Amino acid sequence: MLSESWRPYFEWCGNTWLGSSVRDTVWAFPLIETFHLLALAVLLGTVLIVNLRVFGLGERYVSVPQIARQLEPWMLIAVAVLFASGIPMAFSEPIKCFESYSFPIKMGLIVVGIASQLTIQRKWVITGDAAAGKAKFAAVLSIVVWTAVGAAGKGIPYV
Amino acid sequence: MNSFAKATSITVNISESNNAVHLLSFCEWLQNLPWASGIKHSTWQFPVVESVHSLALSVMLWPAALVDLRLLGAAMTRRPVSQVAAQFLPWVWTGFFTMILSGALLFSSEAVKCYNSPFFRVKVLLLGVAGLNALIFHKTVFRGVAEWDKADSTPLRAKLAGGCSLAVWIGVVAMGRALAYA
Repeated sequence: MLSESWRPYFEWCGNTWLGSSVRDTVWAFPLIETFHLLALAVLLGTVLIVNLRVFGLGERYVSVPQIARQLEPWMLIAVAVLFASGIPMAFSEPIKCFESYSFPIKMGLIVVGIASQLTIQRKWVITGDAAAGKAKFAAVLSIVVWTAVGAAGKGIPYV
Repeated sequence: MNSFAKATSITVNISESNNAVHLLSFCEWLQNLPWASGIKHSTWQFPVVESVHSLALSVMLWPAALVDLRLLGAAMTRRPVSQVAAQFLPWVWTGFFTMILSGALLFSSEAVKCYNSPFFRVKVLLLGVAGLNALIFHKTVFRGVAEWDKADSTPLRAKLAGGCSLAVWIGVVAMGRALAYA
């Protein structure tokens, strides 16, 4: 759980126009969450397709660099949708986020996920010419981190 | 309305309400089973099954959408349609079975809520449309895929099948979310 000193920032988020409009519209949250889930399916699906290919699983016809290039634009759109839908959801119930364990864990994992995506994932997986051990390490890390991001998101209302 | 029509309509009404009662009492019986109410009342079982249900979307929905987008000419256009389908349909089936299994567990734990929810009914209806759409596509236009496998533009019926599938699955996810908050 986050330190008490963060509470005023979360309260401020809840008092914004964005936060109160999502709260006051009965269908807004499920609708936004639908887009969030669809985009998560695109992001996590892409992560699975590309990284399982490193182990020779799933994709049979094209190489890791090829499948990664084919899916990259879709994944970037998904990331944009995830931020655009995630922020209004968090603003609509910031105190629930503040008081949960899952929310800060999820945020931390997103930072780890993006950092590894921009560094070792690019160098060791997507180029396709790193040592097999390095590629496999980066692939497992990516799958584990993004799956955990999804699971932690599901956990926000509960823990 | 003559007396015969009246009598039949009464009979139909009675049998319909009987079916409804049967279905409702089945739902009550189901959600009161120890394992089903256990899922609902345990602190971690429901969220874990729900997480599996949501995460399996990435195994089922995105690969299915990639096949649909290929049919629409919007993704992987340099790869033959049959190759994209052969590549991703095993993912779709794996994800689909996971979703059905986890979905059945979620349904069992709150069957009466689902029975009473219009969103759940629409969701089941849309699942039926998705299945029918896929079945028709595979039995008809996909049989002749060899003729348009590498073409930039797929036949109209293939585009319709792809567009219908995409729209219906988005609807299924939306109904699932609406159901959770209703």
